[in-house]
Amino acid sequence: MAVLGAYFLGTFGIFLRIVLMKTNFPKWLQSRNEVVTPVTSWERVEEGFSLQKQFISPYSGDMFHETPLALRCLKLAYYFPFDGVKTFFIVIDILTMIFLYRIASAFGDQMLKEQAAEKSEYSPKAESLLVTAKQLSMLPSTLIAVHVFNPFSIMTTLAMTTSSVSNLMTLLTFYYLIKGNKLMCTLFLALSTYQTLYPLVLIVPVALHFYRNSISSTSAQSFVSGEAVSSYIITSSMFLILFGFLIGVSYVLEGSWDFLFSTYGFILTVPDLTPNTGIFWYFFTEMFDHFRTFFVCVFQMNAFIYTIPLAVKFTKRPLFLMYVLMFLTSIFKSYPSYGDAALYISLLPLWKHTFCYLRNTLMIVGMFMCCIVLSPILYHLWIFAGSANANFYFAITLTYSTAQILLFTDLLFAYIRWEYGLYNGKDIRNPDGSKTLIILE
Amino acid sequence: MAVPASPELPTMLFVFIFIITCSTSVAQKDEFTEELLIKPLSRGYVYSHFQFTTKWNASIHDLRTFSHYNLFPKSLGEVLVRYGVQELHLSQTQGLWRHKLWGYPVHDAPPGAELWVWFKPSVKDIDGAWTDLVNAVSGLFCSSLNFLDSKSTIVPRWSFRPLGLASKSTSPFSRSVRYGALPKEIVCTENLTPWKKLLPCDSKAGLSTLFNAFHFHEANYHSLGLHVRPICADEACTQEAIELSQSLSVVTDVVSTSYTGSPNWQIRSLFGNHLVSACPIAAKSTIMVDITNNVDQSSFRLTPSPTITDTIKRGPHEHTYAVYDVRQFTQSNRVLNIEATFNQPPVLVELSPPPIHTHRFITGYGLEDGGISCLIHNTLSSNQSILYLDLLPWFTRVKFNTLEVVNNGKAVPYKVHYVPAKDRSRPHHLELSLTLWANSVTRVHFTFTRAYLKWTEYPPDANHGFYISSAVITALVPSTLEYTGPPQASSRLDSMFANQPLGASKPRFLVRIHTESLLVSLPTPDFSMPYNVICLTCTVVAIAFGSIHNLTTRRLVPYDPASKKGLLSKVKAFLQKIFKKSPTTAGQGDQPAQVNEGIQELTEDKSALGTDEKHSSQES
Repeated sequence: MAVLGAYFLGTFGIFLRIVLMKTNFPKWLQSRNEVVTPVTSWERVEEGFSLQKQFISPYSGDMFHETPLALRCLKLAYYFPFDGVKTFFIVIDILTMIFLYRIASAFGDQMLKEQAAEKSEYSPKAESLLVTAKQLSMLPSTLIAVHVFNPFSIMTTLAMTTSSVSNLMTLLTFYYLIKGNKLMCTLFLALSTYQTLYPLVLIVPVALHFYRNSISSTSAQSFVSGEAVSSYIITSSMFLILFGFLIGVSYVLEGSWDFLFSTYGFILTVPDLTPNTGIFWYFFTEMFDHFRTFFVCVFQMNAFIYTIPLAVKFTKRPLFLMYVLMFLTSIFKSYPSYGDAALYISLLPLWKHTFCYLRNTLMIVGMFMCCIVLSPILYHLWIFAGSANANFYFAITLTYSTAQILLFTDLLFAYIRWEYGLYNGKDIRNPDGSKTLIILE
Repeated sequence: MAVPASPELPTMLFVFIFIITCSTSVAQKDEFTEELLIKPLSRGYVYSHFQFTTKWNASIHDLRTFSHYNLFPKSLGEVLVRYGVQELHLSQTQGLWRHKLWGYPVHDAPPGAELWVWFKPSVKDIDGAWTDLVNAVSGLFCSSLNFLDSKSTIVPRWSFRPLGLASKSTSPFSRSVRYGALPKEIVCTENLTPWKKLLPCDSKAGLSTLFNAFHFHEANYHSLGLHVRPICADEACTQEAIELSQSLSVVTDVVSTSYTGSPNWQIRSLFGNHLVSACPIAAKSTIMVDITNNVDQSSFRLTPSPTITDTIKRGPHEHTYAVYDVRQFTQSNRVLNIEATFNQPPVLVELSPPPIHTHRFITGYGLEDGGISCLIHNTLSSNQSILYLDLLPWFTRVKFNTLEVVNNGKAVPYKVHYVPAKDRSRPHHLELSLTLWANSVTRVHFTFTRAYLKWTEYPPDANHGFYISSAVITALVPSTLEYTGPPQASSRLDSMFANQPLGASKPRFLVRIHTESLLVSLPTPDFSMPYNVICLTCTVVAIAFGSIHNLTTRRLVPYDPASKKGLLSKVKAFLQKIFKKSPTTAGQGDQPAQVNEGIQELTEDKSALGTDEKHSSQES
């Protein structure tokens, strides 16, 4: 039944996208800064193609920021039947749905397995917090449903941004991580790092997960032993070899290292101040020149540094760590877009069992809705009508970032609280019978 | 130079020439000529072009040349030799030359400043030499040419070939040329003064006494030009010479500036003064009035009558000039004031437009995307190939894949040289080679997106917008309709009267026209609140940092009300402390008693919590 539902939803989603592709909506979306960034814009990919056709290196200018392999592979989009490029992005969307489905079922199995192994340590009063096979059977269709109706996913597909391709890479990394296929996992991680750089941090959960899988008993595991370190080194070196291979191939194809500055240099030094949903653009527009380098460093470190405390906290939960890092980088990356939000929102139902501990759901949903509606309006008022200035649009992007941060911290809390519940029982009461408050100490 | 040309002794000959050149270079007289071309344009405009040409019979490649100066200005010569300049072309212009109405000027110039330089092939670090040169030239002419940095400089590939002598080996490569334009540069008196100081007579005598800044800046268009190039010293081209051509062009609207609205003009009304002398150093001092359309004096009459009236045939068209020898007219303290008196009010007729003229404009609305269109008209009855050069600043990000060249709805094949811009370091450079069909309009169009700049990158009046320099169109046209330029051999206007070169049955004439410069607005940030933005963004980052720090470094524990002291209970404890001391004063006034009561209530509440405070309240 659940499978049928997923198929039905998926078909509906594809139909919805095809219908919307026929309207003027995609053309409008392609000019929306929230959906399209300089790194992911299809228009700029086409610019790269036309420069290449004239034997001008696309990396000699500042319009094209895709990687050399992407430049060559994305050309395949033109060979797709019907509308070519449009079909290509719908196919990418279909693949995304397929892998969301597979992730959900694999994740369910993994959850049950872990739960069975750890059940002896759980509090007997935590029975209601445990996930059941019945709940998990609904997970794939929930994921598909969220993806189908998620406005961020729809916009990303319609605007034909390459972030849907890099999202698929990240999903594949996640899928093979759950499946425990080390080679494929590191390969897709290398690919997705190669594409957008930020997935680099995901090597931490990947290494943790493969070590955790390799040892049999859950109780005896130590994540700092010599055995563990050697496992991390093996995983990381596999990733590094594959990543180095990709860079090497790019160098051979391009014949120069220019592409490094146009892709990773562009991501790291943030020279393009086109408005987007992130915190970088207006901050560095208004920044004083002599502090610029310092703050670029601070803001980029901000995107990476949380890996350490989160890895320490969630050493035993690499899948959640993986998700959390995905979420964080999409908030703090230099050119974020709705495409990044689409990824973590589609995967959000994986943690449905912790949702009972979310605290600010209404406010966060409200903030997201406001941002989706208001950002095009305020942008129009600034750029076309001239009746508002940049601050209005900045305010809405700031709200969007805040909403994401609130959702993130809320989910983090809910997960920690749920885990606490597992070991201490769901219903903890004071001696006088009142409900005990659980607080952070 | 009478040298026996003996084929058996080429080496000897060369040495001989060399010795003669060296020995005579000092002795040989430099030649200076001053000329003024006046051309009545349609609709009551008058074009006056002052041409001062200094020909220095020496080689620009010989370093010893620049150790002794005669008529050539030393300040300029030192700059040339210091930076290894082979050719230098500078123009500073106020106003727009309207090709469609006015034809072609002698030297076409874009609004603002334009500088293009060919360096000697021996110069290795051309970018460095260019940077130093623009600073030196900027100091020499009191202009802001020092803003011609890498952001507004390009290396034109086809459009700007050397105009003077150039060795064969360098010609296929454009490595040594640099072109830069500043469309925003404002030309004023401060530029005229250093420019005219380079003239041998300054403005003390000769045609330059007519320079009147007030009249120039009131004009519709005025342009200062300075061109240095190596040329042939004689027709046989056995020796090199350096030619310094200084030109000043003014277009005056005679009808609307005269009190009566009459189209009559005279030198006095155009320049505020009549001519009293010729420059004594000048080999020749002439005034030429273009009377091509007035050969039979049907339209206007010139007084006094010219020294001679000369007609030349250039290409398919004939041009007639009334030539005045200034020296002859200003002998024995006489003054020269050429006057044109119109027989009847001139009929406003549309002149036939010149062979190629253009119109360039910005398309689109809003501050996001835009387009640039250039309409190139070809009025010739034959196909005409042209070169199109466009230099766009980096912040108008050109979408190269939108470039289209269309004629009559059909795509025109073109050859393109495109160098994309680099943010904050290099402009877009687009060069096209294409053919204009006979009697047609060709449209060159591309779109761009506007970049968002940092707040410090905007000029003081940010909402005024940014100027985009003119596109340059270069062509060799077969027609001389509305053409005034001298032949390539010399910048002297009277060289037009020289015999046509042999074998030039179908001569072609170099036409270089500059289109309108454009003004684009860029989206602006709010300049007033950098601190607010920095604070707000940092706050959002701090929210994330604080929450993640909290959640990862602390652990969940059940809340034990007994062990925890909230802020409120701390305040209460503090108040109680005060209260404990207060009973001695409490009885003296009503107010302390009220406070007393209030605190009593608080402590009662506290007792329910069963805390330490309970005990203290009991004690009190």
